[in-house]
Amino acid sequence: MIHLFRYTLFRAFRNMKGNLFPNLTAIGIIGISLLLVSIFSLIALNFSYFLKRWEEKIGLIAYLKRETPVNEVEAILNRIRELPGVESVKYVSPFDAMAFLEDRLGEQRSVLDGIQPKVLPPSVEIDLKREYRTSPQMKELISKMKKIPQIEEVQYGQEWVETFSGLNHFMHLTQWILGGLLFAAMIFIISNTLQLTISSRKDEIEVMKMMGASPAFIRIPFYIEGLIQGLLGAGVSVLLLYLLYEILLRRLTPLLKGWMSAVPILFFSGETIVTILAGGMVLGLFGSFIASMRFLR
Amino acid sequence: MIQMFHVSKTYPNKITALTDINLEIPPGDFVFLSGPSGSGKSTLLKILFGIEKPTSGEVIIHGMRITHPRFKKIYQLRRMIGFISPDFRLLRDRTVWENVALALEVVGCPPQEIKRKVGEILSRVGLQERGRDSVLSLSAGEQQRVIIARALVNQPLLILADEPTGILDTRMKEEVMGLLLDFHQNGTTILLATRDRDLIQKFPYQVIPLQEGRRMDEKIEEGVKEEG
Repeated sequence: MIHLFRYTLFRAFRNMKGNLFPNLTAIGIIGISLLLVSIFSLIALNFSYFLKRWEEKIGLIAYLKRETPVNEVEAILNRIRELPGVESVKYVSPFDAMAFLEDRLGEQRSVLDGIQPKVLPPSVEIDLKREYRTSPQMKELISKMKKIPQIEEVQYGQEWVETFSGLNHFMHLTQWILGGLLFAAMIFIISNTLQLTISSRKDEIEVMKMMGASPAFIRIPFYIEGLIQGLLGAGVSVLLLYLLYEILLRRLTPLLKGWMSAVPILFFSGETIVTILAGGMVLGLFGSFIASMRFLR
Repeated sequence: MIQMFHVSKTYPNKITALTDINLEIPPGDFVFLSGPSGSGKSTLLKILFGIEKPTSGEVIIHGMRITHPRFKKIYQLRRMIGFISPDFRLLRDRTVWENVALALEVVGCPPQEIKRKVGEILSRVGLQERGRDSVLSLSAGEQQRVIIARALVNQPLLILADEPTGILDTRMKEEVMGLLLDFHQNGTTILLATRDRDLIQKFPYQVIPLQEGRRMDEKIEEGVKEEG
């Protein structure tokens, strides 16, 4: 059995060597096609991660009416605490807000000279439970908060979250559509490359059939050839993607400011890389299977 | 046991190669198929080897009904047959050794056994020194001997030989016949198609004469007399 396996492998490699150019072309095209799909997947992965980190930062700020008496604040905070999804609340008085502004302005704090804290509205910072950080649930919470008469306005980064969510959705969709089209193209290419190999081995295949070679014995080397093409193509795509990632990482990292600079730009995990390689092999196998169905009957 | 029942074969170009052939060859027999060119000898052998399908009739070889529509194990049938035919050519880009070894490789023979068996059969056909040569460097007679070696290396239960000695010189013809007789002595069934009457007359084996695709059912001596 081992010698049969070795002989099958030997035949697969001999076939590839004998049709080196078509094989290299197929590997290159598979590599580039998978690279395109991987680029979209990687962007989608980073978008998802970015959104997740963004959502962790999301909180609500409820601005109270300026004339709200201080002795009503505790009651307002209690009402907010009782709303579903609220993790914690923090009252920010006009004096706290002014101190915060001064702190953020640093050396330019002199621009605030002469401004009284009372021009700033008192506010309540609200932390949300993780499962309540989605857009529809936040909207529901805001509508409930607005029913509290002392609340003037509620703010959160709604538009940003919605834009990012939409973009992320679009990236995933593009990834699947492009992936589907490119996978079909890859199967077509692998199948046609193997057709060339099969044509060049026509006499040998015919002689082997006459000698009693089983259909599996004849087909398996072509399956292995497809498998190797898929694996090498996927390997090329991962390698190219990593090079692109390294270049982009160096260019992009210095441009990120604030909390975003702390969000790492991710590359695929080892598990995902293995999945890509395995995917390449499955594609190759499928392409060779189609070729053998068409040309090895 | 080879059995053919009412086998006929008409090619798509309407040429009828065989008509209502019945035959039964017990295991271990040596049988000549004789007849002029176009008499259906090659078609009959091809049907037995599973290359051609009969238009009608039934063929059973070693219990396998090869004409059954659901018969899929043609490769198993071929593993027990050594087929010598001008249509079954050698691989031109391989050496003599590789051409013969391929017959063993396809059936999963271990490398050591391949080495031993190929060496042995090449010696028996007088090509032990030519193993590494490309088949293109061989004469037609030598190539025929490689074809014979390839058919016999697997020690088949049945040998179907279509004019195996046609292009060989007298000495080599005798050696090849000697080789086939050795296999026959060891129990291999042999069906040999030839136009060579001298060859047929030399051996006391059953002759199935064919003419225009029909079995003539007559002894070779009578046939020779009629033609004479």
